[in-house]
Amino acid sequence: MIQDNSLGLLQTYKESINTYDEVLDQNGQVKPYWQGLFDTLEDIGIDELELRNQEIVKKLKENGVTYNVYGSNKESNRAWKLDPIPFLIHESEWKTIEEGLKQRARLLDLILKDLYGPQLLIKNAIIPAELVFDNSGFLLPCFDIRQKHDKQLLNYAVDLARGPDGKMWLLDNRTQAPSGAGYALENRIVMSKVIPELNKKTYRKRLSPYFSQLQQTVDSLGNNSNENPNVVFLTPGPGNETYFEHVYLSSYLGYTLVQGNDLLVRDGFVWLKSIDQLERVDVIIKRLDDEWCDPLELRRDSLLGIPGLLQVIRLGNVAVMNPPGTSVLENYGLMAFMQNACKFLLKEPLLMSSVATWWCGQAKELKFVLENLPKLIIKKTNRKQGFRSIYGRLLTIEKLAELKNLILESPKDYVAQEEVSLSTTPSFIDGVIEPRFAALRAFLIADGTDYKVMQGGLTRSSAVKGKFEISNQLGGISKDTWIISDTPTEYLEKPVERKNTNNQLNNSLTSRNAENLFWLGRLCERTMALRSFLKIILNRLNENVTKHGNKQPEFLVVLLKSLTHLTQTYPGFVGKEPKKGEEFDNEAIFEDPIAELLFLINDPTKPGSVVYNLQSLLNTINQVSEKWNHDTRRIINLVEDSLYALKNINTNNINYVNHGLDKLHIRLFSFYGNINETLPRDNGFYLLEAGKNVERILSLLSVFRSTLNFKKTEEEEALLMEAILENHHLLAQYRNIYKSHLSLKAVISMIFLEKNLPYTLSYLLDTLSYYLSKLPKTNDTHRLSIAEKSALEASTIVKLIDADNLILVDSETQFRFELDETLSKVFELICNVSNNLSSLYFNHSVMQHSVLDTIENNDSDEI
Amino acid sequence: MKYKLRHQTLYTYVNSVHNYQSILCLQPRNSAKQICHNFKLEIEPKPAKIYSRTDYFGNIQHYFSLHESHKSLKVIVSSEVEVLNNAVQLFNTITCEEAREKFKTDIALKTEVLQYQLPSQYISWDEEIVAFAETCLLPNVSLFEAVWDLIKKIYTEFQFKSGATNVNTPLKTVLKERKGVCQDFSHLAIASLRSVGIPAKYVSGYIETLPPKGKIKLEGSDASHAWISVYIPEMGWCEFDPTNNMIPQQRHIVTAYGRDFADVSPMKGIIFSSGDHKVKVEVDVIPLI
Repeated sequence: MIQDNSLGLLQTYKESINTYDEVLDQNGQVKPYWQGLFDTLEDIGIDELELRNQEIVKKLKENGVTYNVYGSNKESNRAWKLDPIPFLIHESEWKTIEEGLKQRARLLDLILKDLYGPQLLIKNAIIPAELVFDNSGFLLPCFDIRQKHDKQLLNYAVDLARGPDGKMWLLDNRTQAPSGAGYALENRIVMSKVIPELNKKTYRKRLSPYFSQLQQTVDSLGNNSNENPNVVFLTPGPGNETYFEHVYLSSYLGYTLVQGNDLLVRDGFVWLKSIDQLERVDVIIKRLDDEWCDPLELRRDSLLGIPGLLQVIRLGNVAVMNPPGTSVLENYGLMAFMQNACKFLLKEPLLMSSVATWWCGQAKELKFVLENLPKLIIKKTNRKQGFRSIYGRLLTIEKLAELKNLILESPKDYVAQEEVSLSTTPSFIDGVIEPRFAALRAFLIADGTDYKVMQGGLTRSSAVKGKFEISNQLGGISKDTWIISDTPTEYLEKPVERKNTNNQLNNSLTSRNAENLFWLGRLCERTMALRSFLKIILNRLNENVTKHGNKQPEFLVVLLKSLTHLTQTYPGFVGKEPKKGEEFDNEAIFEDPIAELLFLINDPTKPGSVVYNLQSLLNTINQVSEKWNHDTRRIINLVEDSLYALKNINTNNINYVNHGLDKLHIRLFSFYGNINETLPRDNGFYLLEAGKNVERILSLLSVFRSTLNFKKTEEEEALLMEAILENHHLLAQYRNIYKSHLSLKAVISMIFLEKNLPYTLSYLLDTLSYYLSKLPKTNDTHRLSIAEKSALEASTIVKLIDADNLILVDSETQFRFELDETLSKVFELICNVSNNLSSLYFNHSVMQHSVLDTIENNDSDEI
Repeated sequence: MKYKLRHQTLYTYVNSVHNYQSILCLQPRNSAKQICHNFKLEIEPKPAKIYSRTDYFGNIQHYFSLHESHKSLKVIVSSEVEVLNNAVQLFNTITCEEAREKFKTDIALKTEVLQYQLPSQYISWDEEIVAFAETCLLPNVSLFEAVWDLIKKIYTEFQFKSGATNVNTPLKTVLKERKGVCQDFSHLAIASLRSVGIPAKYVSGYIETLPPKGKIKLEGSDASHAWISVYIPEMGWCEFDPTNNMIPQQRHIVTAYGRDFADVSPMKGIIFSSGDHKVKVEVDVIPLI
């Protein structure tokens, strides 16, 4: 699209406006602060703005800002979209909005307490009983939950848009797990980095007071006896659409990020399971929807919650923000009754208008709705995933009749809202500034007596021109939101000082994270080891292509089989066991080994393949994403790129494949390097290193064993030994010492015994033992743990070998019995190390439900 | 009548359980119709603490958790329950249609009964259930008589067969196969009533059973039982037992009221373990003369 910019950006924009717009006041005049912003944009220039826009995209990607879209697979984590043009509101108008929002929060808090208490609203016919009892958010087990704060609704988010009267209207409430504040903060930070000159001519309010208040409120929720409460941030996990925000906010606020199975109810308290102890939890910031948070009393099939949680809340031994039960307020039907509820509970009129809403459960309203469908938006009363609002205006006559029938089937399940025209706001779309519909999400936090409103918010503009589709699930574009002030902003707000404490909560390693880090080490090394060995094979294959035609030399067959053993991708090159009476024939696969090798690289559904391992690795990395700094993030993005590239590799050109594998190697190596240089030396690090070393030892042993356990011709054997030395990164050293002569005895001695070369068994076992010794012990700290004992035994076997003995060959079978036996024993011991760590530190029990299912009756003549 | 009540539940697990969270709903209610004396709850292994709580429906629940590794769990509740003479209820001839209208228009009444008119976890209905209900619950028939008809219909047309169903057996199947246990019959009666707009509750409790003629009563041979309660304007909540075709009098002991079984499940729990488990329940309802 080409825009004529000769008129200046503002003039051009004004001409594209076709409804009322944020830039203009009631009289059609440009609001002065928008003028200021456009002046600055003019100075920057539209081309430069485009460059900055690309910079924003890059920055957000680096920071890992994503928004997961339900119903799509992992890879389409949608990158967060941020418009370089902010949304502006003047503080004089914002003050009025704030009053309206605070009143709404106070009102909802009172409604909440009434519905789970005396229910006067129902008894006095202010709110229809259906909207409470037939509301999937009304949770009976929560009726006796009352936290010590006067306010039960602590955290509240609300969507606003400018209505036809020029005022901000309320569109929607978020109460059970309000999201978006973290995105608002990240938007602000990215904007100040990428376009710092944008607010040159304006003063804008800061976001940090909101977060300081949030910390203070959270601290005040803690147990009185504990000045510095233990706070956890409860997330449903990486599958959740706003997982990025959970990671981001928990780390910004300084709270431990946990999932339900990191917590445990015991003795009337909630505990955090770390690898060496239980730590009491005082406050839970809940980002889990209410019905999922306690499978004992709420949704039985929830695996995300903490069984027994509700009872602990009732006892007052843990505080939750927001407490379960607040989901009742998210019902669309209630919006029709706010004016009356406000008069009834607060004895004052409602300050902020909401979009006119009709609940179809009443005869008069139903009639009105059915007669006016084309002007209305139809929603389900109970907020449900998957029910998209229906715009009557867009329906054909047949579809309108269908909708009518749908509503008539169960009128009480539907509400209708007036489709009002909302304002548009300047948005930077494909290099052009154009008007788009937008809505603003505002955030409130209880401050003891009232609520504090964030001086800013999360604005989202529609993904589609002329439509109001702001939801991120539908591709809405977010905007930084500025509250414009005429005077310089208040002093720099001090962040909350957390009193010094001897508990190490923020460093505590949960069992879940312990397991993730251990597996991260294993999976990363598994991929690296496979890459190394693949390279060795590909290079040799390349050298032999021309020499032998389709027939592979024996040593290559051995290496290829060994690859199948390493990756456990049977039958692969090993082939199936021949059935009785059949000849064992596995020649075909060797005629074109590249095909199988490609599967081992690019098949994401084949366990053991490079991309399969990479996917598992990236999932694990994502599980512990709070650990990664910006540089590590950047490397992880590159590893992701490698994953896509390798998935799409489909060529017989070995050089091309090699190239892709080399890139992957460098990236994973940078990842190793980065974490090694930056991660704190704590239990998490030790477990990661232990996992890495376990995997490295197992991979090397597997290849060694399956390659050299049978004696071959001298020539083949030399080639195999060379490959093994290369696999251990020892070829150069070997040649240095022994020149070109390859003797198995010398090779074994070097691989087993050399203490100063990093890929020898002695070295690796010493390293593993070191990391194991650093891990916490459950009993006597002066004795070896079981894992340490296994490692010591393996190390002793390796160091005490008699090379002469190991090279002995059974003359009949050509089998090196001693060598095979030794390697297999060491292999088994290292597997034990892994299993022991697993049973000591990780939690593997499964949550099961038990209900007395049926009333079984014995034989009796009556019942 | 006075009864000595004993209800024992024994869980045995294949693998050790090292974390168990549980809620019991086993304490007989106190009401104008019955008094519960000497309630005792014993749990083995012994939990550090048992917390009791009155739930939304006024039932008494007990919460406990276990954290020592165990392979079996025994819960024994015992009490003495005095069942008083029912005051004779004034019979109201209100028809189904009139009652339905009243439930809609009388706000106070609606607030009380609405949640027993709506679908709940185990109660939902389709056209077949509506058709089944409408064979008895005709608009111009007295509601009380109509409910009696429904109860009688279930009693005569359905076969009591223990083990034929479990709690997850859909009502559709119960209706088709025409067999089940007291829980199914109660759920079916409730669904039928609600399907035509009549509020109905689920009642869990016990009934005194008599041994077969000429035999002595065996220990542990009683069972927990379930029946229903229907709201009839002016008369209030009236109980009916579709399994035995009777109006509960002095042989029924009430433990809990709820929308359906899910609200009053006698023992529910979350087990952290990897294996399977078995349950054995023994109930004694012994009349004290």
